[in-house]
This record gives sequence, C-alpha cells and structure tokens, in this order.
Amino acid sequence: MQTDGTLALNDYRALGTPLAWPEAKTKAAQVRTWGIEQLLMIWSRARSKERDALLWGDEVEYLVVALDDEHQKVRLSLRQADILLALAEDEELQANGGCVPDLQNISREYKLPIFHPEFGRFMLESTPGKPWGIGFKDLLKVEPDMRLRRVIAKDHMNANEYPITLTTFPRLGTKDDFICPYYPPSGDKLRSQFVPDEIANPHIRFPTLAANIRSRRGRKVEINVPIFKDKNTAIPWKDPTVDYDLHNWPEDDDVRNGAAKDNFVYMDAMAFGMGSCCLQITFQAKNIREGRTLYDQLSPLGPILLALTAATPIYKGFLVDTDVRWNQISRAVDDRTAEELGEKPLIEDRWRIPKSRYASNSTYIAQDPRLRKEYLDPELVIDEDVKQKLMDGGMDDLLATHFAHLFIRDPIVIFEEDLKTLDLTKTDHFENLQSTNWQHMRFKPPPPNNDIGWRVEFRSMEIQITDFENAAFSVFIVLITRAILSYDLNFYIPVTRTTENMETAHNRDAVLQDKFYFRKDPFPKMERKMDGVSPDTSSPIPASRPSTPSGPIEDEYELMTIDEIVNGKSGGFPGLIPLVENYLNSVNIDIETRCELARYLELIRKRASGEFWTAARWMRHFVRTHSAYNLDSVVPEQICYDLVKAAEKITSEQGKCFGVGREMFKSTKAR
Amino acid sequence: MATGPSLIGHRPLFEKSNIELTNSLRTTFASAKSIIQTRSKHQVDGLSSLSAPANTTGTTHPWTSTSASTLSIPSSPFTASPLTEERSSYDITVKLFFLPSAHADAQSRTAHAQEALRLVLDILEAPRIDLLIVSFPGISFDADDDPDSETPESMPPLKRTLTAEDRLVDSVTQTWHSIEELHSKGLVSALGVAEFGSERLERFLPLTKIRPSVDQINVRDCCVVPKTLILYAKDQGIQLLTHNDCTDILPRGTVREILEDVFRDDDAAATAWLQNDITPQWVVKYTAVVRDRGVIENKGYFAMAEVHSI
Repeated sequence: MQTDGTLALNDYRALGTPLAWPEAKTKAAQVRTWGIEQLLMIWSRARSKERDALLWGDEVEYLVVALDDEHQKVRLSLRQADILLALAEDEELQANGGCVPDLQNISREYKLPIFHPEFGRFMLESTPGKPWGIGFKDLLKVEPDMRLRRVIAKDHMNANEYPITLTTFPRLGTKDDFICPYYPPSGDKLRSQFVPDEIANPHIRFPTLAANIRSRRGRKVEINVPIFKDKNTAIPWKDPTVDYDLHNWPEDDDVRNGAAKDNFVYMDAMAFGMGSCCLQITFQAKNIREGRTLYDQLSPLGPILLALTAATPIYKGFLVDTDVRWNQISRAVDDRTAEELGEKPLIEDRWRIPKSRYASNSTYIAQDPRLRKEYLDPELVIDEDVKQKLMDGGMDDLLATHFAHLFIRDPIVIFEEDLKTLDLTKTDHFENLQSTNWQHMRFKPPPPNNDIGWRVEFRSMEIQITDFENAAFSVFIVLITRAILSYDLNFYIPVTRTTENMETAHNRDAVLQDKFYFRKDPFPKMERKMDGVSPDTSSPIPASRPSTPSGPIEDEYELMTIDEIVNGKSGGFPGLIPLVENYLNSVNIDIETRCELARYLELIRKRASGEFWTAARWMRHFVRTHSAYNLDSVVPEQICYDLVKAAEKITSEQGKCFGVGREMFKSTKAR
Repeated sequence: MATGPSLIGHRPLFEKSNIELTNSLRTTFASAKSIIQTRSKHQVDGLSSLSAPANTTGTTHPWTSTSASTLSIPSSPFTASPLTEERSSYDITVKLFFLPSAHADAQSRTAHAQEALRLVLDILEAPRIDLLIVSFPGISFDADDDPDSETPESMPPLKRTLTAEDRLVDSVTQTWHSIEELHSKGLVSALGVAEFGSERLERFLPLTKIRPSVDQINVRDCCVVPKTLILYAKDQGIQLLTHNDCTDILPRGTVREILEDVFRDDDAAATAWLQNDITPQWVVKYTAVVRDRGVIENKGYFAMAEVHSI
C-alpha cells in the first residue's frame, strides 16, 4: 500500500529546484488552486469506485543505532542512504535469483518488504511487500513479516548497527557525539543549537521542509516538554544544555527571547519531532462511503491508542513528565506565524489557526444520520473559496469542508519545475497539501493509474519495542474496524473532546491514571434494525427511518479509564476487546489462528488494565532504578547505552522474555 | 413456534450466543408488536387473513401469523433481508442446533433441518449456503475428551460407554443422511459438525457419504485442544473452527419466559395456550460474511417450539 508523507525510493532520486520560503509563499495560491483541481478530478473519477476488498498495510519505523560496546556508548547512525542503497541493490539481486543468505530460503511468492527513507537520517521505514487481506491466516503473517523486515534491515547494516523500535533516541540533541559520523550542530537549514543539518535526510525535500517551516514561522520551532521532577531535580529547573550565547544565526536570539522555559526541556528543530518512530495502519475501504465512516469512527480511538502505546518518556537526555511523542512532533513542524498563533493582530495572514499542521483531526466526514451537528467543531477554520470550488465541482458539504480545512495551510515545499503546467492526471499538488497535514486520521483518495481504492490511515500509535507488540496493535485495529462495520458501531463524540483526549493522553501514566471522553453506548438504536435490515453500510439509510437522535449530546458520553474503554465497564461501555471477541465468535476462524489472536488480545487487555506495563512506564522505571541514575532526571550515556541494549534484547525475545522488560509482557502482580 | 429474524445490534452483544439469542427474540417480538400495532390497517388486514385459528393456540394477534398448527412470531416471513451484493461475495454459514428437549427421530429431524434451511434461504433470498454445521444434543467436546467421567461406578465402564456412544453415533448418522440430502440438492456446499472429538470422528466418518469438512470446537478450549484431534483433523482434511455457543442454546424455561413476557398485556383467554407444554425443537443461526472484507453483513436466528395440550 502506498504511503503518503514518506517518499518512495524513486522519488528519492528525482530532484528538482525547491523554492526557498519567501518565493514559495508567492506560489502557494497557485499550488492550492491546482491541488483543488486535481482533487476534483480524483473525486469525479473515483467517487463511485465500489466493492474494493479490505486491504491494509502497516508502517513500522526504526531508529538505526550504532553500538560501541568497548566504550559502552550508543550513537545514532546516519547511514540511512547507504543502507537503503544496499537494500535496493539486493532487491535487484533477488529479482535476478540471488540475494543475501537470509532471503534465500524464502519462497518465491513472498514479496520482499519495502524500505523507505524518513525525515531523520537515522531512520528507516518498512512496509510489507504487498498489502494484507482479511483472511485470518493473513493476520498471522504480519508478525513474522515484521520480524523478517528487521532481519533484512539488519543484514544491510554494519555489524554494530541495529534497527530498533524506540519512538525517539533518548539522547538526541545532547552535547556529546550522539551521532556517527559526527557533525557539529548549527547549520543553515535547521539553525538548531542542538543538532546539525546532517541529522535530516539529505534529499533536498527534507532540509527545505525544515527550513521553510522555520522561515514561514519567523523563528525556530519551539518544543518544550515538562521535566520529570525527581527527588534531586532542582526546581525551578533550567535546561542546562541551552546555550544563550550563540550568534551564528538570527534565530539564535530565540532563546534570549524566552523560547526556553523554566522546568521544561527545550528543543528547537524539526528533527526532535519528525525523528520519532510511529506505527501507522492504512485500510482500504469498500467505497468512499465506508471510508468516510471508518475515518469518523476510528477518530475517537486515536487518543486511546496513543495512551495505550505510550513509549516516549525521555528527551535530549532527560526524563520528562509526559509519556508520548505526539505534541513534540506537533510543535516540531508548527509553521504558524505569530499572527496565526494569535500573538499579533491579523494583518498579513488570513486567519487565526488553533492547531499545528500536525495535530488531532478536527473534522468528521461521514454521510451518516448518526453524525449530529453538535459533534462538529464550531470553530473549524476553513477556506471558504476552496469549499465553494469543491461544491461547485459536485462535492458534498461535509467532504468539501474537510478539504477546505486542510487547505488553509500553505504548501511548504514547492519545486519550480512543477509549476509550469497543470497535469490533471497527477495528484502532486493535492498531495502537497494533503500529506503535510499530519492529523491523527487521514482520508486518502485513490491514487491515479491503479486500482487502489479509498483509504483511511490511523496514525496515532507509538511504535513498540517488539514486532510481537507491533503486530498485536496492528491486528487489533484491523479487527476493530471489522467490528465497527459488522455491528454498525457508533463511537461519535464531539470532535473537540477527541482533541482534549489527545492532550490527556500525554500525561505520565495516562493509561492508568487518567480518564477520557468516550461514548457510552456504541450500539445502533433499535429502530434502525426493526425491519430486519442488515447492518450494511453501502445502502443508504432510507429517509423514512427516524434518523435524528435526540437528547443532549452530553448524555451520550462520559469520562472513562482506558481499562473501561478497552475491557468494558459494567453497566456502561461494553469494551473494545469484548466487541472484537464477539466479532471473532461470529465468524469462521480456525483454532490455531484464534489462539494466536488470543495472545495479541491478551497483551492489549492487560496493557489497558495495568497488569502489563507500557514501554513508557518500563523505560522510566529502567532509568530510575539504574545505578548510574542520580534521581535528578538526567539520563546519562551509560543508561542510554544500557537501555538501547535492553531494547535490542527485548526485541530479540519477542515478548517472551523473563528478564529485562518482562513487566511489559508478564503479570507483575505475583512479584 | 417462534421465528426471530436478524438482530445483532443490541446489547449484550458479547454474551454467549444463548443470551444473544434470547435477547434477540425478545427484541424482535417487542419491535414486531409495536410496528404492526402502529402500521396501516391494510397490513393488519393482510396478516389477519392468514390466521386461521390453530387448534392448540387459538391466537389472532395481528403481529403473529398462524397456519395449520404453526404460530409464527412475528408473522412469517417477517421481512426478507436479502444480501446486497452478488451471492458469490459471501460466506454464508448456518448452524443448526437440535435441542435436547426435541424429537430425536430421524423423520422429525429431517423435517426440522429442511424447515430451518428454508427459512434462512428465504430471509437471505439466497439459493444456497456455504456451510451447514449441525450441533447435536448431548455432544460436548469436554465429555468426549474424557469418556469415563459420566460412567456410574456400578457399570462396567467400557461396555457402558461403548453402548451409549454406539447409540449416539447411530442417531447422529441417521440424521446426517438427511443433512447429506440438503447437500446433494445443492442447497448447501459444505457440511460440518460441532464438538466432535477424534474418537467420535473416527467412528462417524466411515458411516458418512458426504464427510463433514468442518468440526467446530468451543473457543473456551481452543488453546487446549488435544494434539490427537489436531493431527487427526489435519490428516482427514477437516478444518477445526472455533465457536462460542452453548449446546443447549434455548432451554424450555427460557422460551416460556419470553412468551409470557411478550403476551403479558393480553387477556387470559387469548393466552390460555401458554399454559400448555412448550417444547423447543431447534434453533438455527445464520451468518453472512462478505468474504474479502470480513464484514458480517447479516446475522440472525430462527427458533421453533412445539405447543402441546396438557
């Protein structure tokens, strides 16, 4: 399944002349206009595309680390390009009948996984060679495939390099040589005082993206994460790594103007956010209607799965007081100007914008009588002209509103060559905006020139340390979508509550300590089924049916713990796991598959109940009980090395470990 | 006699299927009642004309229908709920439960199987189903796994077990032949049994003309299924599938409870038949899953009970 937001290897070689910001800005309107024309072309071509199978794909992102066992030190490896090149060469080799030893025993029908570059030059992304189906046996192939991807990746690295799936590198941006090869910080593109330009993928698109975000914003991006206040942490705590006396770039003034805050870890570059690893799942829907339904119904699950997969308690060598990566990425690509942020009166810019380009989503798009207008965001910012154009082109109000919301942004990276003629057989200008709106759900129109259908991407989950966990969460989400469609489940809550939930998910141990807004009763109202009508999502709901739910919306949802949402609440929400179990009980599924799936569901059930720890909790515990830790929030090199080593070991044990990390997979109650 | 068309969307969804069935019946009855009572006169008349009073029941509720000695609740066919895509997109699985309280003779079972399948084919407007799984009373995988457990000490264990098992397999085989006929007629593509252990399969298979291609085992035990069964099934090309149904999915008392509840507001004379003996005979569950999307599009139950004068 093609993934947006990342580049395919072919693009990687295609070069153009990117416009620097002041010039790009003058072309923004043209790109938007052409993007909308391309969107209307896609819309008219694909709106009636029907009966596509469920195909789905996962994306796993890795950090590439280089271990120096002699000096007990771990660094990020910047050899992404070399590794990808080696992988690409091997792919050709395999096509010609030979390849690395590990691949020689794999059957010929197996399609090799695909590796992609990512923003961070220390990152890799992998996807399956072909999309998964819903055959339950397919679900069991996911985990071995993920393992194999890791083996293949490792085979193309140096002996001391490893692909690890931690969301962030614990000591990215420290004062020491945390990267190899080493480059000093403070380059022209990022202008960061902590990381060099070489931290970003050298493909011109990436440095341009970073530079233009900074330039549009008028200063560096600003990421402040609250410090975890431990016993010996001095309060007020001032980030000791911040240099207030740099004078290389105008942006060096940022810290002198208060960008770094007391009691917060301060970071100043896109790499701190976009260098995070996530687990993303994309589904192909049967048709546009089903795609829109899935987009809406999965949206409230975003923050829940974010809290449940929490794995990010360390930044720049410090324990922080949050557990997940989300807001850091959000701030790392926040290109809003002071006017758009509401810090200055609106003069140049068109509107105040409440969220970063990377944020929880703000729209619902399903043509569904259960979608009450009270669920929509009353403050939603849209480009009325764009909306009008789309509606003139035949698009309905809801979907036009969605895209008119995405199109309030400027395109960031514009290649001069692309502005010569508008090619309506392509989608490049549309994708320019679409794929730089990083919301937690993404609604993806069919790409041109192939048979791919309407797709929905679920983007909030944090990457997990083992492929067992990554497969478990992937399969869980797939099964939830099947339960949603089979039972006509309704998870609607006001979309602004989902935004609040997203914030809540950041709290330390939110998975156990916090409550989230969630709908109490997900089941269809009885009237809908009275005529014995099936829960088919393709046939429009007859207008004669009472479709307007009544009663105050506040009565429809309440605050629940993650445990209640996942495992059910007596007399209340039935629980995501019981819903999935019921689905599995209603379909023909063989014993072996069911047992394997039971392992996955157990992991999720127990992560939610607290019986198993999240990675965030385990890492925090690992640091705090390490002999080199001084209870002062500092994560020194030695701990970082041991932590990465431990993660590598846990990965190799695939969730069956009894040693380090067992709290994530075994009950801790007996101990 | 009670029929309950598809209703899957109400709680508790995730109970065992007996609860799901019971609730499904209750809700169907309740909604049928309210729909018909508020619907146009024309439809009420249409239904009334069907209801020649049956000798045992003598009821003329507009939302039920009666023909011969059969009372259908709601009136049958309630509403067809046809498949929305081509037949070939679906996997239709039907599970027929012969209940412990039912007639066990081959003739009755043949009639029951035909009637159950007809109702399913009618409501789905489908020419055939993909898989028919038959659940026989008194067969549960646990007992089979441990054949001595129910043997009284006074009896020579081996002899007693064999005799009972012989009778059981004999009865199952007789019924199976009428199930095989449904297959021969092209109404069913594949057959299955539920809760058979390897020993029972071994006895049963040679007696069949059309072998079961599926053996359904309760999900509760799915991770402790004995190796012998797994190997035997694999060897015989029988797929072991999971389920979460009770063997006695609709006990006598439950049916009475539901009916009494439904007719609670009626006058005593009209519901005098409720005093009679009510014996559930069979339940059939159907599920239509869109194959390449894994979506359950249609699921429901029918159940049949006999009413006898005491």
